[in-house]
Amino acid sequence: MGIENDRSPDRYGHPLSARYTSRAMERIFAPAFRFGTWRRLWLALAESQREVGLPIPEAAIRDMRNHLDDIDLEKAARYEERFRHDVMAHVHLFADAAPAARSILHLGATSAFVGDNTDLIQHREALTLVRSRVVSVIRALARFAAEQRNRATLAYTHFQPAQPTTVGKRATLWIQDLLLDVEEIEHRLRSLKLRGVRGTTGTQASFLQLLDGDHRKVEQLERAVCHRLGFEATYPVTGQTYPRKVDHAFLSCLAGVAASTSKMAHDIRLLAHLRELEEPFEAEQIGSSAMPYKRNPMRSERICALARHVIALVLDPAHTAATQWMERTLDDSANKRLAVPDAYMATDAALVLAENVAAGLRVNPSVVAANLTVHLPFMAMESVLMEAVAAGGNRQELHERIRRHALAAARGMTKGEDGALFARIAGDGAFGMTEEQLEEQARPEALVGRAPEQVDDFLAQHVAPVIERYGAREDARPEPGQVRV
Amino acid sequence: MALLRSELPLPLLYRGKVRDVYEVPGDRLLLVASDRVSAFDIGLEEPVPGKGRLLTQMTAWWMSTHFPDVPHHLLSVRSEDILRAVPALAGCRDPWEGRTTLARRTRPLPVECVVRGYLSGSAWKEYRESGTLAGEPLPIGLRENGALALPIFSPATKAREGKDENITLDHARRLLGRERAHRLQKLSLDIYARARAVAAVAGIILADTKFEFGTTEDGTLLLIDEVLTPDSSRFWPQESYSAGSARLSFDKQLLRDYLDGIVGWNRCSPPPPLPASVTSATSRGYREAFRRLTGSAVEDFKPPDFGT
Repeated sequence: MGIENDRSPDRYGHPLSARYTSRAMERIFAPAFRFGTWRRLWLALAESQREVGLPIPEAAIRDMRNHLDDIDLEKAARYEERFRHDVMAHVHLFADAAPAARSILHLGATSAFVGDNTDLIQHREALTLVRSRVVSVIRALARFAAEQRNRATLAYTHFQPAQPTTVGKRATLWIQDLLLDVEEIEHRLRSLKLRGVRGTTGTQASFLQLLDGDHRKVEQLERAVCHRLGFEATYPVTGQTYPRKVDHAFLSCLAGVAASTSKMAHDIRLLAHLRELEEPFEAEQIGSSAMPYKRNPMRSERICALARHVIALVLDPAHTAATQWMERTLDDSANKRLAVPDAYMATDAALVLAENVAAGLRVNPSVVAANLTVHLPFMAMESVLMEAVAAGGNRQELHERIRRHALAAARGMTKGEDGALFARIAGDGAFGMTEEQLEEQARPEALVGRAPEQVDDFLAQHVAPVIERYGAREDARPEPGQVRV
Repeated sequence: MALLRSELPLPLLYRGKVRDVYEVPGDRLLLVASDRVSAFDIGLEEPVPGKGRLLTQMTAWWMSTHFPDVPHHLLSVRSEDILRAVPALAGCRDPWEGRTTLARRTRPLPVECVVRGYLSGSAWKEYRESGTLAGEPLPIGLRENGALALPIFSPATKAREGKDENITLDHARRLLGRERAHRLQKLSLDIYARARAVAAVAGIILADTKFEFGTTEDGTLLLIDEVLTPDSSRFWPQESYSAGSARLSFDKQLLRDYLDGIVGWNRCSPPPPLPASVTSATSRGYREAFRRLTGSAVEDFKPPDFGT
């Protein structure tokens, strides 16, 4: 099986890598990174073994260090065909490139030493990239929220008109979801450990034998490998593998991110239907092949589609963790290979889109105002009641009158008429108020409460520190052509 | 053209480190921001070209775009308004246009209102020596240029000549009165927090800043002088920030670092001449900060109308 065949027309290409995910994320799960990390693990093991006194020749280490990334994947495939074992295929391949290390490569280790430790390193790299992307979305939304801090808009509960809020305040709800995700990501990254140097069943028997029964040196060896790979600690005990619950915890964290992007995208789709908000639309973009007038919110729709995949994927590692037998069974392997990269690549794709949408959101101020105006008289009724009671009216009687007027107005609106609620109230002598006075009660800025101030405080106290902390990482910058629509 | 010293046909009240301040009838002032630059509170010989205009316009941008609710002394930075107030300036516009502010005259309060979100400069020095900031204890183990858990108000005395000195909150209360000190503290923290969010979104860390306040005849409190500029604040480019290490800055840090590196200079006047590479790099940093914040180059920026 040669790699050039992967691009042939009768081979299936994974849509995440072919269409959706960024190159930066794809790279972490691509063969070069994976097998390059295996070689770094073998090097770290040999260096650490030499450090604790095993007779590892310096030439072996030099040879390994000089050939960390020249990986001939075709040759690896031929070895694998012969041995039916991927790790041994790469041991031989590395030994061909670094002959001085042939006799000591993989000494005392089991396949999980490279396989599992690499999985954990991939988690670290990929979740760090996800964090950068989440912060990029937060940054774009923060700009939007600040710009729209006091644009009054109809709020919706049950997707029915409710007391007004501001467009910016609504965006802070999206941002807060993502801030909670950042906290979760921070926790996951802080608590991530390496599987370490453990041997076939996690007892370190082979290393204890290599080091002549010196327990202290075995511990020292593991610490040395761990630090060489930039980890603080290893899981205190393991079977053959790292705890499979780790995959579940990390994918749950991704599902959280996916849920946040999905909620935001759903809101945008609903608001696009109301014509209040539009996601970016290219000048030559075609909405529909049959209906040329259409401007579909397809980026937001795709975010929802990708996010759903991530959320559904969480079940896989949960089942894997639940069904591992004793020190290890191999029913984890093929499933992990599918579920983990898919979850990261789909999350990455959703986030790249989310940033694009958030940075290009367009508000239609006149539609926002018009939708609000239609419902404002209803919103103002509580304040009208207070005013009329203050002027000497009977609260219970006026409440009943308002209820009847409002029902009549709403009935009128279901027939497509202007509800004319204010005209009805003004025409009712019990209130003694003119339409002008009523309109005064319905000023949008008087009805949005502390929404603008909440936006200010939230951005200043909660959003700015996070943006500052994770700033603009190079690898989170958009790549040319990253958003394919 | 860089401007080191303005000579306008108006009564000169004083020349500050950067600004020349003239009297205008009707209890008003004309503040001309020169291209002079100071570091460690010492005026340097070489100008940073274009700096005065940039500081003036940036202040106007902040107040008009983000702080219309904060009472301030700014009346206008637009040439037409300034000419209406001082017709004598029509003759030669070049020395003042763009860099000049028409403002209400106030009596400046004797305290500089510094707010710090990060531990740098003199605040780091105080913390390292005594574990405090503005006399209040801070947690142990903080790092130089590291973020503080919450922004801190750290007042300083105001020196027209020579060095400003950090003072304790108690000292500020004695100078201002308890109630006014509290009000300035609250207002300063509030403006800083909001501005920090704006800057963060634009890719700039607003590490700290300094506000000045004054009172009018009738006792109204106004924000005065420049606001949230790289002269009155530390502006760090987000991408190069990492706590505890030296970094590129959009402010005067470049100058300070350069001067700090000169062996044998003891921070007393006169300082050694600055090479052009240092002043032009400083100018580039200021311009980039302006572009990130306002979205346009300073030359293309349209001065806002304060409706005066």
